[in-house]
Amino acid sequence: MTDKVKVRIDGEVIAATAGQTILEVARAHDKYIPALCYMEGLSAVGACRLCMVEVSGVARLLPACTTPVQEGLAVATTSPQIQSYRKMVIELLLVERNHVCAVCVSSGHCELQTLAQDHGVTHVRYPYNYPRLSVDTTHPRYVLDHNRCVLCSRCVRTCAEIEGAHVWDIAGRGIHSRLVSELQRPWGEATSCTSCGKCVQACPTGAMAEKGWGVEEMTKQRAGVSRLTSMREGQ
Amino acid sequence: MTTGSVSPPPHHEDQDLIDRIIGDQVGRPGALLGILEKLQDRNRNKYLPMETLEYVAARTGVPQSQVYAVATFFALFNLDPQGTHTVAICRGTACHTRGSRALLERVKLQLGLREASDDADKLTLTTPDRRLTIRTVACFGQCALAPVVEIDHAIRGHVKEQALMREVDALRKESAR
Ligand code: SF4
Ligand code: SF4
Ligand code: FES
Ligand code: FES
Repeated sequence: MTDKVKVRIDGEVIAATAGQTILEVARAHDKYIPALCYMEGLSAVGACRLCMVEVSGVARLLPACTTPVQEGLAVATTSPQIQSYRKMVIELLLVERNHVCAVCVSSGHCELQTLAQDHGVTHVRYPYNYPRLSVDTTHPRYVLDHNRCVLCSRCVRTCAEIEGAHVWDIAGRGIHSRLVSELQRPWGEATSCTSCGKCVQACPTGAMAEKGWGVEEMTKQRAGVSRLTSMREGQ
Repeated sequence: MTTGSVSPPPHHEDQDLIDRIIGDQVGRPGALLGILEKLQDRNRNKYLPMETLEYVAARTGVPQSQVYAVATFFALFNLDPQGTHTVAICRGTACHTRGSRALLERVKLQLGLREASDDADKLTLTTPDRRLTIRTVACFGQCALAPVVEIDHAIRGHVKEQALMREVDALRKESAR
């Protein structure tokens, strides 16, 4: 039962399937909406607020990654207000942790960095938090650097939904939220970890990386992780 | 996977109780919250030891990281042993403007307590002899009485430093007996 609906994205009429999210429809038609916590193949959580769009008749902005389309829905993917809002979100992500791109394995391949560039974030207008954060190097093959984590939970969902191990979760709340493995155990001692490395590939920043790479050297294979879901769905 | 490596909880005499609490709650919506709340309530020092969290995860099949996430999200749960008496100092806006920071600093000084890190989102400090726990609260909803301090579940309003010190000293002496 696939109900066809007609929606309007930036004025263009597009045929979509009811139940698809605004982001899915937009992506399928090459309309750009930035997204960070969303990753194809994972459940959508609406955590980063970068994908906010205007929907006509709705006073507030709505997250494209979790809002399903309906017949007659009209969406604006960009506007001066949306742009300034997205810019602010990126700046706040940057001040929350210690992002020093010059020494980061993911520089040049980092989704946060790319988003900042695309949105003209040349500097931030807010004071940096400079939290004191640790780097977990206990896993034989991978590293977790909390300084670069944006708490998108893509690793959490990848591990729980695709690998089925659920090694990771987000502990605490608000500004004190931290990614944890098991009961705050070092990654290398987490017995539920299968060392498959999918969380590392799903991570948009340099927070998770393979050991042995230098600055700018770590590229990730996100599509491979997403493909696993579509292949399983096809079965 | 749920029954693989079930290590017993710290106190063996508690195991029956823990099993019963888990058995009663399992399958209900929000079961984990209920289980953790009951377990903390039955704990002698009103906290959830790591071994208990590990055991709950193993018995319920909830991933350890998720159990930990729940236990650290709700301010209600303690991961460290609590003192016999609790002094909760309000750090809400009204109480802050009425000098609650000074009260907190004074009590900490008096008891020789210092924050281990600025990492935690709530402040909970317990004296090494576990007689007193000092904690902060975001607002008691009694702002007209600011500054507000709760001592063993009794609310005190318009708290003055001297009076609070006398109460704290009394609690220390009382439980020393
Ligand atoms: S390495 Fe695999 S099992 Fe381990 S946390 Fe990452 S995705 Fe999960
Ligand atoms: S480690 Fe990476 S994937 Fe995981 S929450 Fe942090 S930024 Fe997201
Ligand atoms: S991508 Fe929609 S909220 Fe993060
Ligand atoms: S701010 Fe202290 S009771 Fe409201």
